[in-house]
Amino acid sequence: MMAVFEKSERLRHIGHLDIMRSTQRALRRSGLPVSYSKGFNPHILITFASALSTGAVGKNEIMDVTLDSEVSPETFLSAMNAAMPPDMQLKSAKALDDKHPALMAMVQAAEYDLKLLDADTAAKCVAAIPAFLEQESIMAMRKTKSGIKECDIRPLLFELRGEGEHIYATMTLTEHMSCKPDMLVKALCDFAGCEVPRVLVTRNALLGHNEQGELTRLELL
Amino acid sequence: MFSEKIEAMLEKVQKAPRYTGGEMNTKLKSWDETDLHFAFCFPDTYEVAMSHLGMKILYAVINQQPWSLCERVCMPWVDMMALMQEENVPLFSLENRRALNEFDVVGFTLQYEMSYTNILAMLKLGNIPLKNADRGQDDPIVVAGGPCAFNPEPLADFIDAFMVGDGEEQIVELNAVIRDWKKSGEPREACLKKLAAVRGVYVPSLYDVSYNEDGTIASFAPNCPEAPEKVVKAIVTDLDKAFFPTEIPVPYTEIIHDRIMLEIMRGCTRGCRFCEAGMLYRPVRERSLEHLVELAEKLEGATGYEEISLSSLSSGDYTCLPELIRELMKRLNEKRVSISLPSLRIDSVLKESLEETQKTRKTSLTFAPEAGTQRLRDVINKGVTEEDLIEKVNDAFQGGWSSVKLYFMMGLPTETYDDLDGIADLARKVVSAYFAVPKEQRAKGLRVTCSASVFVPKPFTPFQWEPQDTLDVVQGKQLHLRDALRKVKGVNFNYHESGLSFLEACFARGDRRMGQVLLSAFEKGCMLDGWTEYFKYDAWMDAFKECGIDPAFYAYRRREKDEILPWDFIDSGISKEFLWREKCKADRAEVTRDCRQGCNGCGLQRFKGVCSFCE
Repeated sequence: MMAVFEKSERLRHIGHLDIMRSTQRALRRSGLPVSYSKGFNPHILITFASALSTGAVGKNEIMDVTLDSEVSPETFLSAMNAAMPPDMQLKSAKALDDKHPALMAMVQAAEYDLKLLDADTAAKCVAAIPAFLEQESIMAMRKTKSGIKECDIRPLLFELRGEGEHIYATMTLTEHMSCKPDMLVKALCDFAGCEVPRVLVTRNALLGHNEQGELTRLELL
Repeated sequence: MFSEKIEAMLEKVQKAPRYTGGEMNTKLKSWDETDLHFAFCFPDTYEVAMSHLGMKILYAVINQQPWSLCERVCMPWVDMMALMQEENVPLFSLENRRALNEFDVVGFTLQYEMSYTNILAMLKLGNIPLKNADRGQDDPIVVAGGPCAFNPEPLADFIDAFMVGDGEEQIVELNAVIRDWKKSGEPREACLKKLAAVRGVYVPSLYDVSYNEDGTIASFAPNCPEAPEKVVKAIVTDLDKAFFPTEIPVPYTEIIHDRIMLEIMRGCTRGCRFCEAGMLYRPVRERSLEHLVELAEKLEGATGYEEISLSSLSSGDYTCLPELIRELMKRLNEKRVSISLPSLRIDSVLKESLEETQKTRKTSLTFAPEAGTQRLRDVINKGVTEEDLIEKVNDAFQGGWSSVKLYFMMGLPTETYDDLDGIADLARKVVSAYFAVPKEQRAKGLRVTCSASVFVPKPFTPFQWEPQDTLDVVQGKQLHLRDALRKVKGVNFNYHESGLSFLEACFARGDRRMGQVLLSAFEKGCMLDGWTEYFKYDAWMDAFKECGIDPAFYAYRRREKDEILPWDFIDSGISKEFLWREKCKADRAEVTRDCRQGCNGCGLQRFKGVCSFCE
């Protein structure tokens, strides 16, 4: 069963592992026929399409839960929403068949709403976007396990626009390569010649490719 | 109103989930639609607070009343505290993020003496005057309960009213008094006098103390007719009828005890002479098997926890323990809930079915012989023999465990170096028991950990008259024991910060004058004393000096039989005569039977029908 859920602002500092554990406990509370892994230390079979970083709000996060017997999406939704805390409610659910590819491998990009909590900086950044995008390459710093690496994020940007204090960005997010919000904001602020302000990151949607190869919301695929 | 600032601060601190709230089963009640707002303050970090059963009970009890609301407040960690001071953000509750001084009642739980500086820190961060005498009509009523409320005197300057005894019924009564007083518009003093009439409530400002020249108490008496001469602890007589929450908060982050804690009984019949809890929580009251099974199922359904522990002071003594475990396993196994068992005192049939069904992780097993020789175990009335211990350890090693923890105390009354050598002997026998199991049958990697804490004489125990060992003596003993245990292969030795135990001893049996020392130490920056990295022993000693108070008077002095002890005005249910009788038996190394084998006349027989073992 694939389900879309929200990680609200109150929970934005809760890390991915804690969200996973809390969801597993919610599944146990729900009384739904969840499947467990085999082995000595069985755990509930659940995967998340993409880990959301600590500090970010998620509007349409996606999980996949394996069930032992058939349950209607409506039943799943109501049982889970009774069992989930108010700040982590499910929005929709859809049954997936067993042959459905792994959600994690399907994710290609994500839509972000980045609220810059400094009006002046936001205005400068919004104004700088057209020129920013005209660059052939945009070098940004990426934190990896082996240290900080420089990488070109220009090819990773699908869409970038600004409005008021908000920057709306659609960026690559795959298991191998992704542009993180902090990389973009740093590069944009450097370009606009301002300090990086506090940023409220909201991930609005996870995207995959449809049959035509166009970016489409994962839950609609 | 501070939410914006708090959000910004949370981006900078370690472990932000400590401060965010919104956990499953927490209650977000309407501030405006409730008459009484109670802040449950835990003077330690979130992880410690959320592991505490008492908090969960009282939180639920208060929120269950339609007219009252309870929100949680924990001690912020140093990074958060610094930001709060910098940004001028007051200490706030986890639920509605209200400043501490907006609440009608601010209630602290007193679990440990060395959390007292945290109480002052929290009051200060919450913009509440530290001293009760400085509080005005609009300041919250500051209350405190929990085990340390049985000697409330060191906090007498700071707390408006103490709650002594079982809290789940008493707290509702206390809140109702405060609610009615608020509506009446009467002065603050009127409220305090009304509170003094609630069973188990002690209002320190209504009592006066005078001292003898030698520093002991000359008199202790109420200064108004509303205050009772003796404050009798509140007792919940029937736990099956008492409230127990089934919807308990489930934190997002890992806490210390991240599981269901099912309180199967309250109190203990063993009568260990060093144990304050064993005396304070008398009499033993058991929840019925049927009720416990019902509670366990509801708790599992409401929390989704994977583990349940049977909680009490001595769960192995629960009358129908094997039946209870069998029944719980029957109901909870299919839900994949593991039951963590309190002790190995289980019959053999049960042991087998446990091995089959409970794939328990073989973490280490803990035993608490407390003392190294039979003589000293008799002195403290710890009814454990060496044979018992070795037999259990044997079972454990044969059952596949390889890690054992042994808890001891050093500095017990009458202790000699022979008793310390006894600890090393016992450890050696445990190691031999491991090697006696054939190699193929035992788990690899033997680990025996010996921990020795420093004995702190506590009020309401037979040792309340005894001196604590001086720091020099303790340190000498620690070195001796360390050397003795070094010779035993496979044994790890842990011991405690002796300075901390010394201070604990001062507060445990302190009187009102200790309040000055507390305030002075707090002003010198003492805080989070229970966390080794923040414990400032020298600052504490300076505080004593500044106040002209000698810590040895509290920690090292032997009290006379007829001395008025600072906590004598509290009736814990146990009589002072019984405690003295027990003290004399300790001097003779004579044991006292478990109450389950017959009444020992501890004093509870005065309350008819309260104790099921009384004659």
